[in-house]
This record gives sequence, structure tokens and C-alpha cells, in this order.
Amino acid sequence: MNRRNFLKTMGWGGAGAALTGCDLPTTITLEEGKEEVVSYLMPEEYVIPGVGVWYASTCTQCSAGCAIHGRVREGRVLKLEGNPEASLNNGKICMMGQAGVQGHYSPDRVTKPMVRNGDTLTETSWDNAMALLQEKLGAVSGDRFAWFTGTISGHQSALVSNHLDAMGSKQHYVHEVVNNSVSQAVNRDMFGEANPRVRIDKAAMVVSFGADFMGASLSPVHYAGQYAKFRTKKERGLLVQIESKMSLTGGSADLWLPIKPGTEGVLALGMANLLLNKIKVSDAGIPNGVRKLIDEYDISKVAKITGVAGHRIQRVAQLLTERSPSLVLAGPSVEGHAHGYASVAAVMMLNHILGNVGKTIESSGQFPFPQLMAKQGGTADLLAFAEAAKAEKLDAVVFYGSNPVYSAPKALELNEAMNKVGFKVAISQFMDETTEVADLVLPVASYLEDWGTQVPMQQSENSAIHVQQPLMEKLYEDSKGLGDILLSLLKQRNNDEYGKFEDYYAYLRNAFAAMPAAVKNNTTNNNEFWNNTLQKGVIDVASSGGKLKSTVVSFADPVSESANADGLTLVPSPRLGLYDGRHANLPWLQEAPDQISKVVWDSWAEMHPTTAEKLGISNLDLVEVSSAQGSVTLRVVLLKSMHVDAVAVPLGQGHEAYGRYAKGLGVNPLQILDATTDNKTGELAMYSTRVTVKSVGPADSLSIVRMGTGSGDSQAGRKLVATVPVEQLRRTEGS
Amino acid sequence: MSLDNILNHWSDYRKGSEEGGHHDYEHRWAMAINLDICNGCNACSTACYAENNLAVVGKERFEKGQAMHWLRIERYWDQQDKDYPEQGASFLPMMCQHCGSATCEPVCPVAATYHTPDGLNAQVYNRCIGSRYCSNNCPFRVRYFNFYSYYESAWPEPMEQQLNPDISVRDKGVMEKCTFCVQRIRTAKDKAKMEDREVQDGEVMTACAQACPTSAIVFGDTMDENSVVSKLWKKHQVERGVYAKTKLAKKDKDLRGYRIFEELNVDPSVMYLDRVREDI
Amino acid sequence: MVTEKDINEQIAWAKINTDVLESMENPRPAFWVTLAVCVAMVACAVLAEYIQYTEGMGTANLNNPHMWDMYIAAFVFWIGMSHSGTLLSAILHLIHADWRKPIYRFAEAMTTFSLLTAGLFPMIHLGRVWNLYWVLPYVSDRGHWPNFRSPLVWDAFAISTYLTASMLFLFVGMIPDLAICRDNTSGWRKKLYTVLSLGWVGSDRQWRHFRKIYLLMACFLIPLAVSVHSIVSADFAMSIMPGWHITSFPPYFVAGALYSGCAAIITLFILLRYFFRFEDYMTLAIMEKTCKLTFAIAMVWTYLNLIEFASIWYGHDMYNKELLIAKATGPYAPIFWTMIFCGSVLPFTLAFQKLRRHMPTMFVVSLFLNLGMFFERWMIVAPTLSMSQEPHQWDVMYGSIIEWAIVFGSFGWFGMLFLIFVKVFPSVSMYEVKEMVFHRKRSAGEEDLARMTDHSKPVTQTTGGEGA
Repeated sequence: MNRRNFLKTMGWGGAGAALTGCDLPTTITLEEGKEEVVSYLMPEEYVIPGVGVWYASTCTQCSAGCAIHGRVREGRVLKLEGNPEASLNNGKICMMGQAGVQGHYSPDRVTKPMVRNGDTLTETSWDNAMALLQEKLGAVSGDRFAWFTGTISGHQSALVSNHLDAMGSKQHYVHEVVNNSVSQAVNRDMFGEANPRVRIDKAAMVVSFGADFMGASLSPVHYAGQYAKFRTKKERGLLVQIESKMSLTGGSADLWLPIKPGTEGVLALGMANLLLNKIKVSDAGIPNGVRKLIDEYDISKVAKITGVAGHRIQRVAQLLTERSPSLVLAGPSVEGHAHGYASVAAVMMLNHILGNVGKTIESSGQFPFPQLMAKQGGTADLLAFAEAAKAEKLDAVVFYGSNPVYSAPKALELNEAMNKVGFKVAISQFMDETTEVADLVLPVASYLEDWGTQVPMQQSENSAIHVQQPLMEKLYEDSKGLGDILLSLLKQRNNDEYGKFEDYYAYLRNAFAAMPAAVKNNTTNNNEFWNNTLQKGVIDVASSGGKLKSTVVSFADPVSESANADGLTLVPSPRLGLYDGRHANLPWLQEAPDQISKVVWDSWAEMHPTTAEKLGISNLDLVEVSSAQGSVTLRVVLLKSMHVDAVAVPLGQGHEAYGRYAKGLGVNPLQILDATTDNKTGELAMYSTRVTVKSVGPADSLSIVRMGTGSGDSQAGRKLVATVPVEQLRRTEGS
Repeated sequence: MSLDNILNHWSDYRKGSEEGGHHDYEHRWAMAINLDICNGCNACSTACYAENNLAVVGKERFEKGQAMHWLRIERYWDQQDKDYPEQGASFLPMMCQHCGSATCEPVCPVAATYHTPDGLNAQVYNRCIGSRYCSNNCPFRVRYFNFYSYYESAWPEPMEQQLNPDISVRDKGVMEKCTFCVQRIRTAKDKAKMEDREVQDGEVMTACAQACPTSAIVFGDTMDENSVVSKLWKKHQVERGVYAKTKLAKKDKDLRGYRIFEELNVDPSVMYLDRVREDI
Repeated sequence: MVTEKDINEQIAWAKINTDVLESMENPRPAFWVTLAVCVAMVACAVLAEYIQYTEGMGTANLNNPHMWDMYIAAFVFWIGMSHSGTLLSAILHLIHADWRKPIYRFAEAMTTFSLLTAGLFPMIHLGRVWNLYWVLPYVSDRGHWPNFRSPLVWDAFAISTYLTASMLFLFVGMIPDLAICRDNTSGWRKKLYTVLSLGWVGSDRQWRHFRKIYLLMACFLIPLAVSVHSIVSADFAMSIMPGWHITSFPPYFVAGALYSGCAAIITLFILLRYFFRFEDYMTLAIMEKTCKLTFAIAMVWTYLNLIEFASIWYGHDMYNKELLIAKATGPYAPIFWTMIFCGSVLPFTLAFQKLRRHMPTMFVVSLFLNLGMFFERWMIVAPTLSMSQEPHQWDVMYGSIIEWAIVFGSFGWFGMLFLIFVKVFPSVSMYEVKEMVFHRKRSAGEEDLARMTDHSKPVTQTTGGEGA
């Protein structure tokens, strides 16, 4: 299909969307009748000069897959907003989604295919690139070929699987730094579903063990929407957040409890102990081993281990029984330990004890298109990949949507491993660290130029497939959509089956035509279905059936081996904004202050003032954070929103490549993580690295930059944000 | 402010803000921000960058205090004497409050900032000569000055293609600030006029209110009695006009609505609702 | 103690002419060097302004809370400086304090040049200076007017009026002297003075008109001077910012202006007395009187300061109070206390006759008084911005090299203008010194008018005091 046709199709899709989200030009000009004077002398028929039309598409800035509307004017996409048709994000998107246009228009994009020529990458043509792929991939077979991606879903994911099948390989490494793999394992074992639907909105009380559900989580906008309902319903919901570093969600907690890193599981057991032994909640379904473990942890012991005051634990446990239904969540800081699985299991067990399963934790049902569901990444695959590569088991690997060279700890020796991969192909939009070491770089179209489908991992009540359509013509002729690249690769292997699709668009149309009638709103007209889908951006698919079981698995004692060791525990906290580092090249997100520390354009180490005092460190000092694997040097920011035994170094900075905005800023804490893994799942224990911190004095002239700290973060006696007790709210606005 | 205008509208001109000022308002756009559900996530601020062509200034200039964030999220720690902030952080989205008796307006030597019949505090970039007096006289400190020309540095090719053509890119020497997304108001008003009807509540959404993942920001017209924002203002007994002890005395003290710096008599158009915490 | 005479009344008129005319001729190398230094300072400022103009106001380290800084402080400082001339020439003229006569000319020149310096700052500080004229109510076919409610517009009117008036006053008062110059010079100077003296021949009619216009202008200038600095104070007082919105600002600013002006007069007095050997005219007696006047004004200023502090301290305005405390204890405390020391403590040196008569001491003291006054201006402008109602935007101001260069250069600019002035125009009013000598002698009983006014009589070298 040529570009003109392609855009026409897009125009059809948008015309209807214009009815819902239309904005009209300013028609009142100085002189009546002059409004037709525009620079576009012969616009395309679907372009109305001066009129912005909103087209539906899907955001791919993180793996949440929120549905979006993009405002297109004179053929350029200008502004992204949430698509109100999608119940996942209800017309909202987060800061990362807003900044999507900046990635699309980034001045640092890869615009031409490039091939390795000794130490450098030189530009080449697509024909040459495809010929090279034909040659190289033709020589590989079986598991010596692999795909390495981030979380991927929809038809692209299906095509990746098909390509792997065609290559005879099963090696699909899916890597995400921000993940919930351990929780998934626990959920699968305890409730029978890896990703049951979490209903914060239905809960009267949420106790979150480090789950930053509104921050850098797996679906921040969806959970923020739930949170708003949770807070504004008649009986205002109560949020207790227990973590070592205050997360964005922790900032909104009614009670924020700092906990000694790695002892969350113990605290959960302590609460279980209170619930079962003091408050006499039924212990049905708890295996004997676990029951014994619970009994071991009485309140004084737990208080001592976790550093959380006994009366606080008692009060929270008490409230958990009073406020029903409640919801207990576990986040990455619980998962990221050698005993991560046990800790998460201990936390999730509380839901079983409190009878929350089925009330605030629901079955997400059977998704009718399992092949389209998200292949979710974790860190276990990164470890497996490093292992395989080091053992020279991989001859060709295609990288897409993940940057392992940046995000792998030094301890994995990934650089060395990469050298042992025979042929590395990077399908990439930017020259990131992984793309830089590739042998062949294929410039991929941005998500605002590409077709696709996304299946959100965390579905709302109404399961849906979110459709991604191009919002404008490609900025760079020589970039190709991911689906198109996949199809070309497949055609090289299996032209019989895939040769009939001119391009990915044709493939998708075909796939849509083949969908069952129920999904198509019982229309038999494929064009109508296609156009309706593009206008709406969302295909509602009913997830049928599904019932959770509520059991408790046996788990080991979630005790922290390093709890009494020297030093501090490193918290490599992801930020809503730069996320795992993938958005470090977006200036809006670099310039948006971190929500808690208010730092911009930099990395920082976050510590409690008491800890700093002990170590002889003062605010904004240059400090060296060293683990057994290495060290990073950065400025320290002293905040009381940290546990005294932890030091946080947020993720996202420390890029050695990745364009003008990312390169050379700050440090990457992932580099100094230990290669410890969770005993049960093999996931990287990201939150368990022990570090020492020492002041190396004030060094460079440009100190760390923070927004608005002149008054020492105090309101200085003004009434800017006043806090009122919930009783007052109940009296005036409540029930 | 032509001479004719002054002479013809002398009595209007003399009217104080107690009587609604010198305007016969068509709309009075206003906001209500529920700080209890604001989680400080920055979506509003980033949406504002995207909608209003705000320049990214970079690290050095940010450090100098020359950032251009029309909407900034202030974060305060309220329990500074405690070991840990057990009630979390206090977030405050702060943007131009579009005061009814705006202190920035009378001090501008060239009347580049003035009050529109929409109740907006408008900034006419073309008229601004950059005396910066308005910013000095703004108690909220929400006016941002173009200390440099940012066109080259903030939008390297092809980033300039993202710029919103509905509003200008400001050059150096000009003051700017939140406009309550005046271009969106304009569009909605034009559309309503073409369809021969009034602007409906909810038809105009500022970029920040649209983006807010928890819908903490509500935007609307307080002249429209049925608008959500009007109802919220009424519910919380926050009234337009200047602060009067009697008015405040009648107010139910337990209601959460308030306007920042009410005692300065600037009559802001943004009502905040107190943050709530359950003490456990 | 013998009452010291302001001037030796035995001094001959011919000597007065010779001394003053000589001071205008043959600049010494030191003069050229000083002038070169001043020009170099101006060149630095021009370079800095060029950078600021092309790059943007950000080069001056201005930022969101600190939209104004040194430029406005310097503006107020130079406006304040301009009040001395008016005080000496107009006010003292009206109250018949004739000791002003030998020193008012250079003070008046100071007025004009400070105003010319002050006038530069609003332009330097403006973001889009090319649109400066928009503050004036010129006829625009679009019906645009400036905002008459804005104190900045009042500034534009007040300063331009004051500048015009003070220049005219300086010029009118100089006409008889310019005629003397015309009669005693040749070449380009003669041409210049011929034009400028407007055909002055010293006729009875001319003198009568001259006296009338001079008195009228003096009367006109006094309210103008007071209003100018009141209006400058309105730039701050009309705002709602803590530390700016203060009722006592107009008198406070006027007092501060007279204070710094007097201090500057002492500085220039000593310099002229030393370099032009004007000991006969700028006598210690006059210095003493100037010092006493300065001391009195210093005390008025101190009193007004105390009023401000007290009313803030006993008031209920939290913002003002915390700002005052922050000024005295915060990062600006060294500047604040230097200001208090220089402005309120140091002037007590003026209360001691011994010190008053010791020129090097007085020279240093006068410089410090002005330093204190510069700090006062800065303490008014910046701390308020650093610590306004909104605590999130609290910050501390650090100037940039650009800003310093421009403020520094303004002193060079002033010096340059002044140096040129003293070599082109008589810096001591010849005719008025003659008048002064004449009147003193008359009152001492001398009757021989002819002898007294004879220009050809040889110079008597008797020193003052003996003949009394």
C-alpha cells in the first residue's frame, strides 16, 4: 500500500473520532471572511487547515498500554490525551504518556539502517540490511537464535512468536526492570491467576507493602483512577504504606511507615500473628508450616526486626479487621530479595486471612485471545540471556524495546556476554547502549507512526484490546514499523504464509476480519468494524468466567540474611517519569522534578538525616555509594522520607549513550547491584544489595538542582496545604 | 484603554472589585482542586508543557531559577519535627490563580496584563515590554519570564513540529504564565457561537484538568450556576469577591474549601480543598 | 573659639576669576588617566550590556523570585544621588544659607549626571527595551495608552520632568559665569560660551530677570525633587509585597536620597578642593556646615528606619515581620548590618569637629556612607523578592558578572560626565562667590564699593579670620 492510500485509511478512521473529540478553528478573525486564507493551498482532502482532529491510538511509553487520543493538525501530531472510551485509563494519561510526542519528534532518532563496520556503524539501505538478515539468520537455527524484548503484546507479540517458530527457536527473552514477576508467581500459586484484578476502589482500607501503584508501577494511570474513587467514596478509604523509601504513592498515605529493608515479610507474619492469635480471625486454609512460622513472630520480635513500632502494627492489624473489605499489596521492594517469594507470599496471605480474595482481588477472567496477551518481562530472562550468551549458545539475537546493556548489573558481565553473541540486530528508535553494540540497526517507526495492537497487562473490569494507529506520516522515510519489519523477517522464512500480506496493515486488517462476531459487535461488515475500531481505539472483549481460589502456599521464613550486616541497603527506586531509564531522553521528563525529592536533570542518593549524621555526611555532599560490585558517585539529598537503614538511588540516569538529553547525566544504580536472585523464582533480587556510603566532599561546581527548596520544604506558617482530620470530612461531606 | 473608552465607561471603571470590578463578565472561569486526591504525579505539569509550548530550560538555567513551569507541584513536609513524615507529603499544584483583583494588573506600565470579560487574567505577549513588575507583585510567584530566547535550544529540529500552532512561542524579554488554556476556551466559545448556544459545562477542559489521573482538578465557569465548579464553590461556601470578616464568620469552619492568601484580598479563582488525613 | 569664616572676604574678584578659569584649563596627566579609567569602566558596561541584550536578561542571574535586583537598586541609588544638588541650590537658596554658594555648582552638575545615569537603568533592566516608548502616552492610532495606574509610568513622567528641570536650573544658574568664560577665553571655548551665555552682558535688566527666574525655578524644583523620590518609593510602596508595602517609604526614600547626595557632595568637595586647589572657596568652614547637615539628615534617616522596624515589629503582619528578622539574621545579614553601621553609626564621626576637619577621614567616611546607602537600596529591592508570601519560591540572590559590570560601569559613566563637566564649565560659581564676598564685607563694615569690585586690584594674601 502506498502512503497516500495508507493515509486515506487513517483519514477515515479519524473522521468519526472528530465527532467525539473535535476542536474547531478560531473563526472570528479581524475581518470576516478571511478565515480561508491559509498556507496550505492544496491540502489533502482529510486535512482541514486549522482544525485539530483527535485520533485514537495506544500509548506504549510503558507496558500499561493506555488508550490515547492524539491531536493531529495539518498532518502533525501535537498533543496526546487519554481516550475516554477505554475503561483502563478513562481519558487520562500520565506524564510519561504526555511526553510521548517528544520521543516521536526527538532530534536523536535513528533514521537509517546501520551496519557494523569494524568499530563503527555505517548507514546502509534497507535492501542491504534485509539481505544481510537473510544471510545471517539463514545460517542460524534452533535455539541459537533468540528474540530479546521488553514486555510485548498484541499482534506484534504473536508475530514474534511466529518468527521464533519459523526459526525453530523457543528463546524469547522478555526483560523489564519494573516488573511484578515474583508477585505473579505468588498470585499464581495462591489465587490461581498471575495477574488477578486488583480493586483498590472497592477497598475500605489498603495496606501497601512498597507497592507504588500510582507511581512507577505497571499501570499507574489505572490505579490512580481507582485511588481517586477509593478516596472520594462515601467512606473515605484509608491508605497505609509500608516501605523503606517513600514512593509517590507513599506521599499520599494516611500513615506512612518506614520499615527496615527486606523485613516486609516478617511484618506481614507479625500482622498475621495478631490477626490469628489476638483478634482470632479464622486460620482456615493455612498450611501447618506457615501457621508455625506465624506463631514464631510475636509482636515484640517483629517490632525489633522490622523497626516498626508495636502499637502501629497492632493498630493497623486492628483496622484491617474493622475496615472490610481491605486490600493488602506487595510491591517491588518486597519482591527484590533472596527471600522475595516468601515475603510476597506472607504479605498476600493477609488477603486470604482477611477474606479479601473475591472482594478486592478479583479474577481477571479468561482473555479470549491468549496469543495476544502480554508477554511480561522480568529480570530472570536477563540472567538467563547473560548465561546463554556467555556460554556462546546464541548466534543471532534480535533486540527490541529493551536496553539490557544499560540495565544489567555489572555483575552479570553482559558486555562480555554481548561480544559472544554472533550477530546482534537492534530494532530501535534511538542509539541507546544496546543499539550501540549491535551489528545491524534497524530504525523503527515511533509508536505514533505505527500500527499495532496492545493488550494491557492490568485490565480493568472491561477487558479490551487497544488499537494503535499511525497519527501522522513517518518523519523519516527510512524507518519502518515494527510489524512491517516482523513481516519481512517472516517472509524470509515462510513466504507461503506471509507473502500474501503486503504490509502489517494488511496483516492487521486480515486479523481483525478473522475476529469472532461477538467481538465485532455482531457486524459482518469488516470495513465497518475496522473503521469503528479505529475511531474508538478500543475493542471490548469480554473476559469470561474465571474464579479465584483463596489458598496459602507454603513458604520459607522470609528473614533477611543481611539484616544485621554492616552498611545500608540500596533501594534502586524507579521514578514515574524516567521510569527504568527509557525516558531519560525526553527533556520534559528530565525537567519535571522528582515528585518526592524535587530533583531535576540528575541522580541523587536519598538518605535519612540521622543516617547521614552518623556517617558524617551533610546535605548535598558528594558521596560514594559502593557495593561489592562497584560504586557510583553522586550528590546526597537528605530527606526524612527514608528508613535509616536504606539509601535510595533512583533509576533512569547514568546513560552512556541515548542522545543529547540522556547522555552523561547522573549515575545508574543498576550497575552496582549484586547478582543475588530470589530463591524461588530466579528473579534478580534488586532491593537487597548492601552498600556503604561515604562523603567524598563537595566536588563539581554545578550542584544538584532541586525545585523550590528555599523554605526548607516548610509552609512557613502559611495556609497553602492544610491537613484536616478525616472526622471533619465525615461531618461535612461524608455520610 | 483608549481615552474614549475611559470617558465613556468612567463609572464602570470606578467600580471596585466588591461590585464585580469594571467588567460585565461573560464568564468567570475558575478551578477547584482537591488536594486530598492530588498525588503530586506531575501529569498536569507535563500536559501543560505539551499544550502551551513551554520551553525546557536545562539544568543550569533551572538551577538559576529560570524554569518556565507554568504549573508547578510544590511539595511540603508538614511534620518536620518528627523523625519520619508519617502522614506523607503535602502536594500543591500551583499555577496562576487568575485573581479577580489581580495585583499584577495595576502595576504593568503598558497594561500588557489585564482582566478579560471571561474573568481571566490575560497576558498580551506583544504588548509586554519586560519590566517584570507584575511578577514582583504576584504573591503566588507564578509568572515566568523569558530570560533567554529558547526557540533554538528547547525545540531542536524536528521538535518544533510539536509546537501548538494555536498559541505563540514567546521570545526573550516577555512575561508569561498560565492562561487557563485560553486557546481551548476560545475554541469552545467559537464553536458554541457557531452553533448558536452557550458554552456547556465540561466543554472546556484545561490541559491539566484533562490530564489529572485522579481528576483532582475541576475547571469550569462560576457564572454558570449548574457547573460542577460552581457547585463545589457553593458547597464549600467559598465566594467570589474580597475577603470580609463577616463573610468568613458565617462560613462553616469545617468545610474544606479555601483560597490561598485570602487575606491579601486578591480574590483568586482557584479554590483548593484541604488535604485529609486519618490519624491512626 | 573664634567663629570661623565661611570664606575669606578679602579675596579679590580677579583672583576668583583666575582661580576658577585656571581650573578649567590645562588638564594634568592625572586627569587624563582618571578619564581613561572612567571610559574603560563604561566600555566594560557596554560590553556587558551587549551580551545581556543579545542573550537575554538571564545573564544577569535574574530569576523567578528575583525579577529585579541590582539594576533597580542602582536606579534608586542614582536617583537619590540627584537630590543633593537640588537641596543645596534650591532649598538652601530659598532659606538664604549663602555658604552654599561656592559648592552648589558641582552639586547641581551631580544632580544632572546622576539623573542621566539613573535614567539608563530602566532601559538596561527592560526585557524589550526597544519598546520603551510604550510607557509614554504618545498618540497611537490604535488607541493604546500606558497604564496610568502603574508607578512605573509615574516614574517615566517624574524622572523626565525632573531631569529637564534640573538641567535647566543648572544651565540658567551658570549663565553669568559662562559670560565670564566667554570674555576670558579664545578658540572653541569662546564659541561655545558665546552661544551658551545667551548674550549675557550683566545689565541691570538681565540681572533682574535672572534673579526672578532663578528663584522661580528653585521653588519649582523643590516639590519636584520630593515628588520624584516619593514616586520612586511608590514603585515599592504601591505593591503588596512584604517589605515594600510600607507607608513611610516616601519620606524614607527622600531622606535617604538627601543623605546619599550629601555624602557624595562631601566626596566631590574634597576631591575638587584637593585637585583644583580650591581651598579658598571650599573652605573647612563650609565643609563643617555640609557635614552637620549630613549628620542631621543621617539622623532623620535613622529615625525613619526605626519607625519602619518598630511598626513592623509591633504590627500583625507576619510576612513583614519574618522578612525583617530574615534581613537581620539570614544570608543577607552582613549586608544589612553594614548598611546599619554605615548609615546610622558611622555618621557620628561627623559630630566631631576634629574629624570633620580632617579631609582624608571625611573622604573615607563619605565613601562608606554611600556604600551604606547603596546597600540600603539593595536591601529594599532584593530581600523582599527572596522571601515573599510564597515560601516555595524562596531563594537567595547572587548577582552575575554582567550585572556587576553594568553597575560598576555606571560609576564610570557618572565620573566621565563629571570630569568632562569640570573642564568645560566652571565648577565653582564665580559670580555667586563674588556676591558672597561682597555681602560678607558689607556686613563687616567695608564701604568702598569701588575697591571691592575692582578686578584689577592686586590680590591680597591675608588669610581669613585675622581681619574679623
